[in-house]
Amino acid sequence: MKRKFFDLLFRTATCLCVVFSCAVLLAIIGFIVKQGSSAVSRAFLTGEITGAGASGGIFYNLVGTGILLATTFLVSAPTALSIALLHGVYLRNYRHREKITILLYILNGIPGILFGIVGLVVFVQWFGWGKSWLAGGILLGFMILPTVSVTLIERIASIPRKYIEAAAGLGLRQSEIVRSVILPQSAGGLATGLLLGLARAAGETAPIMFTATIFAGATIPNGIRENPVLSLPYHIFILAQDSYSPEVNSRLWAAALVLVILVFAMSIVALPARLKIHEEADHG
Amino acid sequence: MGKAAKLPKHNRFCAIKAASWFFTSLAFVAVTAGLILLLVESIPVWRHSGLEFITGRNWFYRAREFGALPMIYGSLQVAVIAILIAAPIAVGAAIFGTEFLSGRLRIGLKIVIELLAGIPSVIYGLLGILLLRNWVYDSMESLDILSGDTLLTAGILLAVMILPTIMTLADDALQSVPRAQRMAARSLGLTATETAINISLRGAFPGLIAAVLLAMGRALGETIAVFLVVGRQDNQLPESLFSFQPLVESGQTLTSKLGGSETNIAYGEPLHWGAMLGLGILLMIMVTALTFAGLGLQNLARRKNET
Amino acid sequence: MPNFPLSVFRICTLTAILLSSSCSDNSNRRPGPDSGLPLKINGSTTVNPPVAEAAEILRSREGLQIQVDTQGGSSGGISTLGEGLVQLGMASRAIRAEDRAKFPDCDFREIRIGEDAVALIVSRDVWESGVTSISKSEMKGIYEGSITNWNQLGGEDRKIAFFNKEPGRGTWEVFANWAYGDHHKSPQVSFPEVGGNEETRNKVSTTRGAISQLSSSWADNESVFALGIETETDETVFPTGANIVSRAYPMSRPLHLLTNGDPVGSAKVMIDFILGEEGQQLVRKHGYLALADLEE
Repeated sequence: MKRKFFDLLFRTATCLCVVFSCAVLLAIIGFIVKQGSSAVSRAFLTGEITGAGASGGIFYNLVGTGILLATTFLVSAPTALSIALLHGVYLRNYRHREKITILLYILNGIPGILFGIVGLVVFVQWFGWGKSWLAGGILLGFMILPTVSVTLIERIASIPRKYIEAAAGLGLRQSEIVRSVILPQSAGGLATGLLLGLARAAGETAPIMFTATIFAGATIPNGIRENPVLSLPYHIFILAQDSYSPEVNSRLWAAALVLVILVFAMSIVALPARLKIHEEADHG
Repeated sequence: MGKAAKLPKHNRFCAIKAASWFFTSLAFVAVTAGLILLLVESIPVWRHSGLEFITGRNWFYRAREFGALPMIYGSLQVAVIAILIAAPIAVGAAIFGTEFLSGRLRIGLKIVIELLAGIPSVIYGLLGILLLRNWVYDSMESLDILSGDTLLTAGILLAVMILPTIMTLADDALQSVPRAQRMAARSLGLTATETAINISLRGAFPGLIAAVLLAMGRALGETIAVFLVVGRQDNQLPESLFSFQPLVESGQTLTSKLGGSETNIAYGEPLHWGAMLGLGILLMIMVTALTFAGLGLQNLARRKNET
Repeated sequence: MPNFPLSVFRICTLTAILLSSSCSDNSNRRPGPDSGLPLKINGSTTVNPPVAEAAEILRSREGLQIQVDTQGGSSGGISTLGEGLVQLGMASRAIRAEDRAKFPDCDFREIRIGEDAVALIVSRDVWESGVTSISKSEMKGIYEGSITNWNQLGGEDRKIAFFNKEPGRGTWEVFANWAYGDHHKSPQVSFPEVGGNEETRNKVSTTRGAISQLSSSWADNESVFALGIETETDETVFPTGANIVSRAYPMSRPLHLLTNGDPVGSAKVMIDFILGEEGQQLVRKHGYLALADLEE
């Protein structure tokens, strides 16, 4: 009886933990939607900032975040693919592969603000770029490198061996196997990893606040040097500290809502593949 | 990940292979160069203060006094609060997910975790300013609290932020306990709870600790959300580490200092800038130490479950 | 992996060449104001609202590219101008000799666009408990930690929650200059810090017993209340427009746009606009005193 009671108690307690987690998520989403949805409109998405955030929209903030993400994509995709290929194909020594994994985990641990500070010295000052979209894209690209690489490494490791053995049996050379088996088979992994990484990059403020983004006035960059962009997270960060009129408030939440939708959209698209990888790993 | 397929060897030049080496090395060199840069640019402050930089209790940059201890304390304190709140809930939820949920519901839980992990930190900061600090302020009124910007506020906010991190890693750790062991325990007549505690939790223990350590690393490095609610009060070092009062006072963390206006002021002044980068190095050391400890434990857990 | 060290070496060399080439390219990294590059403005969050709005108008009307940022407050504006990263700085305080000394290559020019004052603001409960004015010595007492409860100032028994403006903010320097004659002489203190104006207003309005320094135009007397200053002659002056104009209120301050040398190109267009009738209306709209108001 006592054992049964304890069993029930434990189930209830852990179940409450799950309920609590779901409740937190729902509460956060609900609050943001409630505060922000009234101000989200077509004009809000397609208008420029006016009145220092009190009126107008967030068009160039969306564009800027888009430019940052595209650059992040271009920086991290080839690099992550390279790392994963080295890890899964070209490095034969287990210990060398292990080293790559460890380095990725260390990189993953480096706080965003340190990327920002190093970027400030290197890009803003040494390279003389001032604030530039490219600096932000490169920094974010490095920041999400571990996420993309590890997803890809897991994907490559889960390619069934028989595919590769069959290809080798056909007399294909290593480079041909990479091209005809490994790359196509791991494309889904690259996409998933990139989506997850970009979802994270979209919301980051710390790495770009000193290096890539300003509050108002930037449009589409026409060069590298002195070409900052606007961005959604920095917009929210600044308005949270400096909004001079109450009209800013609803627009601030509307911007938050748009950012959350953007991030969630990427996470959700990545989700099925991600769950699949895990399931395969579980049964593998 | 040691089971990558073996490919036939060959020694001819291959563009993909060369590109792989190139990009990987480039990334490696860039990251290493960044770290070296942090070290080199921080040299002035080590010359000026030596180890006093770590043990010093006062940071008054206009008086050229640079002591990071209160910020180290602040960072650790908010991270520990976050862990104390988040770990039990996250591990509890992970247990429920692995032991008692199956199929669709389990996937539902994973989706919740994934979405929670996706919310950007600036949004958490916004929620912190407008909701959490007022809530902490009102509910801690009896403690003679001065304002809602406290280490506790930052800690609670961080707890929500690292909840999904711990959940995901704890889930992985619990999953890696062999199913056969659980079956055996159940067939011996243990209840699901007893199995969960005696088999799963025990088997996954190093992995769970690793989850907590890795999440703590994330908490230490979080900037924007903490910046907005911690109060940014310098030189707050309590007399005793074991009293509650300092937690409901404002404080400063390594990251809130680095994210603040002093970074702009310090820039161009070697000593002050060196001191700021010194804070960055301390942060880096703390986070990396936690990462290593976490990875070590994960390896230990893996080996334990494989044998 | 016999070729590992070799390839790493090659790549290091390559990277070094790339890096050095982009570094040596630094010669023209300071764009002149008329070089066709966008006009960059950075600095004080207090000066920002009218300037940002002026920039919006000029952008739509003249097609000018103007970028406005508020990193590091007034000091940030001065240092980014000094380093040549922007063409116009915004500052809510006067340039000091030490700023000029820090950037000897920069020929700082101050263009006053309006006037403002630093108010000492309190939360509603303090105001309603009867504390509506404060003297310099009382404020110094709070700043130095000798006065910690409002009942020492005639209010109710509640601890004083003082939020200090963060270093580098023009507001803080004007305050410290007032209290201590020279902000360098102000004692080293550690209080919770606030940055932007809205952050200050928000935190003071939601904290009982709170006091902080804030631009007077943001002190709306609804959510936060501006204290009067008790002068040595036992008068109480509030930061009203009239008192700022007559200099009766001690912590008034100029709002400046800063240039390096004579303004040219789009920087000049911006300055002319903000000094013109329309620009001055923007200054008034955001609660500051326009230049014409000062002459009255």
